[in-house]
Amino acid sequence: MFNTMTRNARQLARDVGREAHDLLERGLDRQLRLAVTGLSGAGKTAFLVSLIEQLRHAGLGARLELLPAARDGRLLGAERVSQPDLSIPRFPLEAGLRSLSGQHSPHGPEWPTPTRSISELRLKIGFRPTSRAARMLDSQRATLTLDLIDYPGEWLLDLPMLEQDFSGWSSECETQLADGRGDWAHDWMAAIEGLTPDSEVDEDRLAEIASLYTDYLHAARRKGGFVDLTPGRFLLPGELDEAPVLQFFPLPGLGDWAPDALAALPEASLYRTLARRFDHYRRRVVRPFYHDHFRRFDRQIVLIDVLGALNAGPAPFRDLSRALDKLFDSFAYGRRHLLARLMDRRIDRLAIAATKADHVTPEQHGAMRDLLEQLLADPLKRLRYRDVPLKAFTIAAIRASEAREVVENGQRHPALAGQLLGEHEGASDLDTQGAGRESVLLFPGEVPSRLPDPNFWAESRFDFPHFAPPKIDGNAPPHIRMDAVLDWLLGDHLK
Amino acid sequence: MTTESRHPRPGKRFTSPNSAQADAASTAYAERPTESASESAAEALRGARHFSPEMESQPLAAAEPEPATPGLDATLSARPRHRGLKWLLLGTLTLGGVEAGHALYQAAMGGDLIAGAWGLLGLGAIGLGARALGKELFRLRHLRKHVALRAELEEHQQDDFGQESFGQRGFGQKSFGQRGDALSTPDEDAGKAGGKAGSQQEDLLEQLRRQMKLGDDDAGVRAWRAACEAHHSPSERRELFAFHVLGPRDREARRLISRMSGETAVMVAVSPLTWVDMSLVAWRGLRMMERLSRLYGLELGYASRLRLFKEVLASMAFAGASELAAEASMDLLSMNLAGRLSTKAGQGLGSGLMNARLGLRAMRLLRPIPFHAEEVPRIGELRAELFSRMRKADKGEDDAA
Repeated sequence: MFNTMTRNARQLARDVGREAHDLLERGLDRQLRLAVTGLSGAGKTAFLVSLIEQLRHAGLGARLELLPAARDGRLLGAERVSQPDLSIPRFPLEAGLRSLSGQHSPHGPEWPTPTRSISELRLKIGFRPTSRAARMLDSQRATLTLDLIDYPGEWLLDLPMLEQDFSGWSSECETQLADGRGDWAHDWMAAIEGLTPDSEVDEDRLAEIASLYTDYLHAARRKGGFVDLTPGRFLLPGELDEAPVLQFFPLPGLGDWAPDALAALPEASLYRTLARRFDHYRRRVVRPFYHDHFRRFDRQIVLIDVLGALNAGPAPFRDLSRALDKLFDSFAYGRRHLLARLMDRRIDRLAIAATKADHVTPEQHGAMRDLLEQLLADPLKRLRYRDVPLKAFTIAAIRASEAREVVENGQRHPALAGQLLGEHEGASDLDTQGAGRESVLLFPGEVPSRLPDPNFWAESRFDFPHFAPPKIDGNAPPHIRMDAVLDWLLGDHLK
Repeated sequence: MTTESRHPRPGKRFTSPNSAQADAASTAYAERPTESASESAAEALRGARHFSPEMESQPLAAAEPEPATPGLDATLSARPRHRGLKWLLLGTLTLGGVEAGHALYQAAMGGDLIAGAWGLLGLGAIGLGARALGKELFRLRHLRKHVALRAELEEHQQDDFGQESFGQRGFGQKSFGQRGDALSTPDEDAGKAGGKAGSQQEDLLEQLRRQMKLGDDDAGVRAWRAACEAHHSPSERRELFAFHVLGPRDREARRLISRMSGETAVMVAVSPLTWVDMSLVAWRGLRMMERLSRLYGLELGYASRLRLFKEVLASMAFAGASELAAEASMDLLSMNLAGRLSTKAGQGLGSGLMNARLGLRAMRLLRPIPFHAEEVPRIGELRAELFSRMRKADKGEDDAA
């Protein structure tokens, strides 16, 4: 009895101590939480692996010319420490590095496998401070604690659902179905044919229809290249597989019903059942995810695969734009003051990055950034209104190609040298990476600097290549502008 | 061009704007009121006119943006050239040369040795003068070229890629609004024709390297070349150039300013006469400017030095009001500090500060790539250094006395 009490007291003291330490670090601005946001396939895991490796090798080996702290030789490196929240899995850095090293695959290095669940990582970055006050506090060496979180991009699009009710969500899904993705929904549409909000459907039939709906989501993602697919857990259920909370679907045609009539329906009606499950999903699945992981960030980087969306065609491109538009509203932005820094956290710096910049020649990066700006036109207007510090980049976390120049008929053309992924190695499903890689030297085509109109897609299509990653063995991976991104996200804390 | 004409005009409605017939009808309708009113108001008002949508049109030429501050480049290029004076000088020199030559020839013919010697002397004098003048002109041109190159680099800095935070500096204003126009202008850069602009910028940096007389084996240049990668954008290359090549020179320049202004302060403090003070300050100021410009790869002649001096003074006069206010209050404070010094040392501190400020301003104008807002050298640290130096000098004087 006494023993447990002392143990509890000791535990409490330790907790308080740690909290106090965290608070102090936060007050000193020596702790940062970085949100790496991106839809599935945008390259979050590769970005995180590269970021960790660049920082770990910052003292030696990494090329971080555009990060002043590293350029001045003040950045001493980074070390992984145990994460604060022990109930979340560790970020699988080793697995990512192993697949990039190419030792465990007959085909050579592979891109890290897509994230299937949430994971966390804490880094301590060592640097020499320049400001006098900081030097007085920690003498010659200071550390910055950086918390990173990786999670499946599919789950991210659930965040806007927090603001929706079942009828709103249903009508949104209905609009989306009309815009190019109906082709994959035939089975599900046939199944709900004739169902009205007041009909009564038994559990098994509901599960069946829900699984058809899930099939449609999968097909739209894999074959159509669409991203704005809700609910995200249907695609990657995690521990919730087969649970009734994942057995609902949108009900088209709710707009014809008056809200009062819908509310007056009996408990067992289809509408009430689905709405109940939807609410449960929102409250028990989405909100905790948001609450635990997305509320408390200082910095955010949004990764966007512009080239992939161009490849996919006009409807997925619009889809991406809409999805991003919804996403930006889910985060709290603003400047931090001393008090606010202790009590509440807001994103005070935002980076927007078009990833996979190594898949086009360097002179296209400008156009790529312009296109990114157009893609995000609406959210950027709102962010600008709120005066959120914001920068756009075109990056490649792990550079898979080399920029070269070809002289043909006396004219110089830019080109890329790299290894193409094999036939069946699409960008969206990385599970089948494998045979048939070839070394190529090519010009991947120009990136339009403004949104192409749909007619353009009708005549021709974009076909940007998919490169295989370079072999990374014990050194920092080559990259494009990771250093500039690091400077924007961390630079002001490395002083 | 076509994009502009394709935009819908506001507040007008046509039944079918594409069909030529409807177009003609609406034209006729619009012209009728003009005809009926032609007797009374035709001279004063012009009636509506409709153009066919296919007709060639170009964007209305926008007004040139005015330069924000009258910097070195602006004043230098806007200055009227004294062509007449140049020709007059050239003519005098030529005529003088011809006359001296003629006199020499006459003397040689007539055997008048004295006259011949005079002619020779005159010819030599004219030759020397011409050489000096030529050198001056050459250096003046060099300065002008330097200024032009700097302006061009600065212009490229405006169109920043990957660097400029569009949240703060006009995502809506610049990159968006102007880039649309820029698409059709031939001289736009990083945005669209990134490759072309990139190589152009590369040329600029190479040109700058040559102008600074840095060989390929210079340590800074080597470090810069090693740091650059194929995928770096022009502005990133420029940033690296500023760090690797100009960085050491900036530090050197700062040391120089600190040392020379300190020396001036001490000299003024110990000099017994006011006019000696004045000439000291002027001499040291010019001297410092020359050394600074040599650091940044410029060789100044007499005229170019004077002109630079003038520009520096002008730029100091035009410095932002807030900056001036801040600095003035700090100066008042340091004058307070100066109260703790002897009168002579206080005077020395004042002229030293003045000199340091001159030096910093010259440094800002001379640096081929303009400073970023946060890396502009400030006078604060120099002030502290100067003060401690004067304290020391004062003590030494006391001890000596």
